[in-house]
Amino acid sequence: MNEKDKKKIFSQVQNFPSMSGAAAKLLALLDDPDTTPGQIEEVVRYEPSLTANILKLSNSAYFGLPTKVGSVKQAIILLGWKRVTQVVMTSCVSALMAKPIVGYELPAGELWRHSIGVSIAAEMLVKELKLQSAHEVYTAALLHDLGKLILGSFVKSELSVIEAKAADGIAFDEAERLVLGMDHAEVGAEILKSWSLPAEVIEIVRWHHDPGRAVKPTVGIDIVHVANVLCLTMGIGIGREGLRVELSPMVTARLGLKPAVLEIVASQTLQWVDELRDMFKK
Amino acid sequence: MGVADMKIGKEGDQLVTHALGSCLGLMVYDPVIRIGGLLHAMLPLAKINEEKARTNPYMFVDVGVPELFHQLYDLGGQKNRLIVKAAGCGKPLGDNEAFRIGERNFTVLKKLLWKNNILLESEDVGGTFSRTVFFDLLTGRTTIRSNGQETEL
Repeated sequence: MNEKDKKKIFSQVQNFPSMSGAAAKLLALLDDPDTTPGQIEEVVRYEPSLTANILKLSNSAYFGLPTKVGSVKQAIILLGWKRVTQVVMTSCVSALMAKPIVGYELPAGELWRHSIGVSIAAEMLVKELKLQSAHEVYTAALLHDLGKLILGSFVKSELSVIEAKAADGIAFDEAERLVLGMDHAEVGAEILKSWSLPAEVIEIVRWHHDPGRAVKPTVGIDIVHVANVLCLTMGIGIGREGLRVELSPMVTARLGLKPAVLEIVASQTLQWVDELRDMFKK
Repeated sequence: MGVADMKIGKEGDQLVTHALGSCLGLMVYDPVIRIGGLLHAMLPLAKINEEKARTNPYMFVDVGVPELFHQLYDLGGQKNRLIVKAAGCGKPLGDNEAFRIGERNFTVLKKLLWKNNILLESEDVGGTFSRTVFFDLLTGRTTIRSNGQETEL
């Protein structure tokens, strides 16, 4: 384990940009049941790109409604709180995750595509498996690989050592831990702690590769674990990590996962992912 | 080209598909008239989502592969000349029945080829790496880039 790297990683977590002011304000408002649509509109009014993204996403086929949404107020009323929170997070994350990720060898836009892919696949899995799951699953799925933004440059400089470890047939995230002292899931959880996100979201991000180590197992952790592996098999955000991810047999047993369910979810996810990606390309 | 997609090309074209995980990459080439096609199929059988299969047959091996051959025949490709190569069909670590999508993709391909008396010239399938395929339609040369290494298929 490399203590020097770990120290450097922690210092980068501390210096990591905070969530945009408007996003943080909005998330706080959305958490408060007494908030009125007018208050939301007030915050968004001064953020033209966020307004544009909320409208674009609200009119997308994935989030979409039969009627065309023309104002943020209308989007809130028609989509509901939960969906609007997701739309705001999706918009904020797009700016953060658009760049290429070194080390993991993800070209520009691919981490973003993977993040929305896992969010969509997670929601589809919840639906197909008829599970009760809280709305934080979407947000956590969207943020699950945030740690790669910091860890990427460390992975790049130690790539040959990490590859040598991974050659023994261990998972890539385990090789990260052995060589760098931390994996991207832990780094991501540290960033989200500094953003003061809800504990449920942080737990999902922290254990998305290693659900067996979560103190309190949750449906959210299990679902994001599976959705992540599924998107990688579909080639969405696969990069250097490849399919060197360990699937937890405990989780697949717990969820009663059958090949048909995975394949239905995969067949539906791809179209939505491409639709949302194309929307942000413009 | 992307996932669940197919492209046909001629001499002078290069077909490229990125990030094959469990998906099947199938390269078919007629060296005499120098045409070829590349399929990037995601799932083994169309029956899992028939509506999707109607709008995009290239998502599925069982309907995408025949479609690729038919399009090459329409352009003058001849069955006895076709060179067929396969790549992809990887699998995550651990042994999990539900995640054998790649193996099932390859099994469906082999059955289809066997039924139609077509031989697979070469293959680079399975394992845990992502693969990118470069298919040159002047020479039929197929190169696989995977984990920083390039090999000819």
